[in-house]
Amino acid sequence: MTWLARRSALAQCVLFILFVLLVAGAIDAVSAAPFGVGSAPAVDGVTGWVLAKQAEFYRMLSGAIRAAKADGSAAWALLGISFAYGVFHAAGPGHGKAVISSYLVANDETWKRGIALSFASAILQAMTAIIIVAIAAVVLNATSKAMGDTVRVVEMVGYGLIILIGLRLLWVKGRAFWHLLRPPAHAHAHDHKHDHGHNHGHAHNHNPGHDHDHADEAHAWGHAHAPEPSELTGQHWLKRGLAAIVAVGLRPCSGAIIVLVFALAQGIFWIGVASTFVMGLGTAITVSVIATLAVGARGLAGRWAKAKPGGGMLMLRGLETAAALVIVVFGVLLLTGYMVSERMFGV
Amino acid sequence: MTIQTFIRLAAICGAVLMSSAPAGAHPHVWVTMHSELIYAPDGSITGVRHAWAFDDMFSAFATQGYESKVKGQFTREELAPLAKVNVESLKEYDYFTYAMADGKKAKMIDPLPDYYLDFNDQVLTLHFTVPFEKPVSAKELKIDIYDPTIFVDFSYDKKDPVKLVGAPANCKAEVKPPREMTFAEGKALSQIPPDEKNTTMAWGANFANKILVHCP
Repeated sequence: MTWLARRSALAQCVLFILFVLLVAGAIDAVSAAPFGVGSAPAVDGVTGWVLAKQAEFYRMLSGAIRAAKADGSAAWALLGISFAYGVFHAAGPGHGKAVISSYLVANDETWKRGIALSFASAILQAMTAIIIVAIAAVVLNATSKAMGDTVRVVEMVGYGLIILIGLRLLWVKGRAFWHLLRPPAHAHAHDHKHDHGHNHGHAHNHNPGHDHDHADEAHAWGHAHAPEPSELTGQHWLKRGLAAIVAVGLRPCSGAIIVLVFALAQGIFWIGVASTFVMGLGTAITVSVIATLAVGARGLAGRWAKAKPGGGMLMLRGLETAAALVIVVFGVLLLTGYMVSERMFGV
Repeated sequence: MTIQTFIRLAAICGAVLMSSAPAGAHPHVWVTMHSELIYAPDGSITGVRHAWAFDDMFSAFATQGYESKVKGQFTREELAPLAKVNVESLKEYDYFTYAMADGKKAKMIDPLPDYYLDFNDQVLTLHFTVPFEKPVSAKELKIDIYDPTIFVDFSYDKKDPVKLVGAPANCKAEVKPPREMTFAEGKALSQIPPDEKNTTMAWGANFANKILVHCP
């Protein structure tokens, strides 16, 4: 057991990153199938239950829509079912859980911001579905095949954005990690004074609630000058997060599109719109829960890193780099079609 | 770091990753089926004629954007382009029809050109015939119909799900609906190693709609 503790910080770090990548890889291998659409669904336990609930609520939607057409007050039941569907459906593939979680870990965002980002992307997904159906079906009277093709183009853009975001994060965090691993040649005793002044300045810039590991960095690595990744201050989180919100939000939910077209056919498009937004609310909650878990894990890692001089910061940067890598990998798998987020029936 | 911290940290990361992993898609399309097995005079089976009735939500979705003389009603001619799109899309998925004759795989080819779509009471029905590459003579013929990706949920109609057309008198057809998975099976399934080839197909086949034709 002490074997691990006795390894050098570098070795521990490498092992941890390898483990994370291994888990991600294993999950992908298990779930990959021809066309990349989920393998034999594990019907056991929680996953099976979530799957069953998803299908159940989705199946109820058509009945609820027809009921709402006949009787306006039945719209409330429709909204309730839509919400439930959104909550369970977000547990399935898509809706940006992995990308948002990795993004939050890589950027060390707070859980409140994690929830804000989750909600923003979920609402954007609802809007994308509504806009596509509104323009394609209502205005252009296009076929569902045309809508499917549109979705494919839009999602490609989203996946491309995800890759770009991941690459940029990988560069920033990877560089920080690398510099901790092998401090630049000019680091020596004279940097002490240089360091403290430098880092104290940074400490004043921090927003409350933001991780204070930069000040600790100086103490932990008193002899090395670790260049600060420029994006570590929390002030521009929304601007940074906007790219992530758009990247994830561009891919609409196929179920929402089918529901909207059906509502349109029944002559109650606006009720379909309300249903879609409520679905978005449901998915937002589920994604927020996952995101909060991710932030919690990151927080744990941060606190632990602070407690351990030397290897801690290295470990942390390593974790962030791994998270950035996960984003890139996900984006590539989605873009190449190896992994399919959600199938749009190419009618 | 202590091994406990390592494990705790790794467990949390693993949990986050796992929960983000595809938990499996759910059906978006429900199909109620009727099938006819077409026999040649010599007692061999030449093909399977399907009538697939889609659920109302998908029926509305699929017919979106197609012009019709009478609003809410479509003729076969008006739906012909959609039928073409449907059949061509199905090719990629082997028309969801898999046949085994006396334990050996029986190859099926592209549908006959006489396929068409019906639209009645807001229900879209696809009629098409999937022929065998070579007419099949077998004592035991098994035909599975399922979507391995469970995007489409197939089930046989309660009434006259399967008919034998022109079959020898002693042939009998039996329809087996998908059976419920027991808890133990579900558990075992979720433990199939990831590198097992065609696991999805093998799994799906267990819970497909089966037609069993026995011709002694």
